[in-house]
Amino acid sequence: MPNKTPQKKYPQLGFGLGLRKEHYQDVIDTRPDVDWFEILTENYLVEGGKPLYFLHQVAEHYPLVMHGVSMNIGNTEPLDRDYLTQVKQLKKSINARWLSDHLCWTGTNGTNAHDLLPLPYTEESINHVVERIEQVQDFLGSRLLIENVSSYISYKQSEMSEWEFLNEIAKRSDCLLLLDINNIYVSAVNHEFDPLNYLNAIDPQQVQQFHLAGHSDYGDYIIDTHDEPVCRAVWELYAQAVERFGETTFMIERDASIPPLAELLDELNFARKIAAAVSTQGINHPQIQNLLENLPIIQTSAAEASEAAAV
Amino acid sequence: MNSSKSQPDLKELQRQMLAWLKAHDPVIKESVTGTEKVPADLRLDIYANAYRYRLIEALEDTFPALNTLLGDDDFFNMGLRYIERYPSQHFSLRFFGHRLADFLAAEDGFKEQKVLSEMAQFEWLLRATFDAAAQPRLSLEDLQNIAPEQWPELTFSFHPSLQRINLSFNVPQLWRAIEQEQPPIDIVEQEYPAGWVIWRRDLRTWYRSMDVDEAWAMDTMQEGENFATICAGVCEWIDEQHAPTRVAGFIQNWINEGLICSVK
Ligand SMILES: [Fe+2]
Repeated sequence: MPNKTPQKKYPQLGFGLGLRKEHYQDVIDTRPDVDWFEILTENYLVEGGKPLYFLHQVAEHYPLVMHGVSMNIGNTEPLDRDYLTQVKQLKKSINARWLSDHLCWTGTNGTNAHDLLPLPYTEESINHVVERIEQVQDFLGSRLLIENVSSYISYKQSEMSEWEFLNEIAKRSDCLLLLDINNIYVSAVNHEFDPLNYLNAIDPQQVQQFHLAGHSDYGDYIIDTHDEPVCRAVWELYAQAVERFGETTFMIERDASIPPLAELLDELNFARKIAAAVSTQGINHPQIQNLLENLPIIQTSAAEASEAAAV
Repeated sequence: MNSSKSQPDLKELQRQMLAWLKAHDPVIKESVTGTEKVPADLRLDIYANAYRYRLIEALEDTFPALNTLLGDDDFFNMGLRYIERYPSQHFSLRFFGHRLADFLAAEDGFKEQKVLSEMAQFEWLLRATFDAAAQPRLSLEDLQNIAPEQWPELTFSFHPSLQRINLSFNVPQLWRAIEQEQPPIDIVEQEYPAGWVIWRRDLRTWYRSMDVDEAWAMDTMQEGENFATICAGVCEWIDEQHAPTRVAGFIQNWINEGLICSVK
């Protein structure tokens, strides 16, 4: 199958955060130094009330991008046109720069499992997903970003590595990639591969955005919980990503145990520092190691935040 | 295994995985590989558990007072039964609890305690109010321009966030005590169900009880009946001569409370 001629990427946005309801008022009142915000699409597919009220306020001051979990791009039933219509309307109403969802399936036969379920890495899956991405891109009239998910199983049917699968889909459909560095790390531990091989195999032409997040480490395996600060290993991988992909669009993605905004800003500023150091000094400069050995002190406070929530 | 047996295609593989999540159907195990450290069974369990926990978490989020009434363990087990009975079909978790009140009213072990279904219904409506559409309100000044002879024909439309519910139990009081973390109060069943209205104003959710004639007037007006019809109807409870003042009083209150959006 011929590859499409690659289109230009969207203009890069810099360093962003996921917009969470806990921070609405702070964001409006204090206008923090965040270059852009990513919103969780489904939270705003409602008719009115607080979520939309705050969303439109934030949209007046920051560029927004949309990140969804319900496109079900890997499912073998027809796409949900009603969902896509709502997504398209929301995108227009907040002037979202782009839209992303996950390379996975989330349910089938009318049942939604509400989980990011992995696909077998096969030629059959590639053909199927490429066709679906093309349908979505035609419908939206813009390029879609797809994100790599964390996974816990591998299928016997798989014919290639996850990164070959991801590259091939991006190339054939000319969609863009949202690389979640934490998810790469989680899957690397769970499936025992070197995360750097993954990162270095991805075609920089196709990458638009990165996620950085935390996870829960169970020793033999890791669960992608997005409820912890970014860990050292993921920061190291992030530094490698900056080296390989250069100026791009990074963000911290926290979905649970939401700490005060100031703590996420510390984490984001740390990401900025590493990016600046890597791009001026190169990855092997001692300053990078120095930074990584002095992670911002977010661990303690986030632990307290989750305890308070549990009481 | 029969070597001529063909590999499941993508559609079949997804069907098998979903059957594993929903009912622990083991067929999918033939397609999943494990490692020495993490065997396939454990890997599949991660997904089966995540499936249930995520849906129950969504219920906890929508029904916190029901959760307190039942206690965490019973709420969790109730959630497991609900997931089996009504798997999620909507693209958003927000709508997963839409049949919980019906489920509690019908299922053995829950239907005997009617307060559970009422609480679920109340909390579901609070959620509906929270993210209902926004719409501008009518003001009392808008009414002043209407000539008296036009009044009998007037119809009013309500704010999209308005929800009506009739409750036999002291559910809103229970809800409030739980929400404000006050000491538990007794569950009380009234002789007659009481009418309640729930709505949103200034991004906040409000609720209050109503007398029986007010509740009837509101329901009838929502059905599109005009002022004259409603005045005639409330005569079931009060003197005919007082009816127009009584109904005009309701409307004035509703406008002040931000419940009415337009008049025709
Ligand atoms: Fe992510």
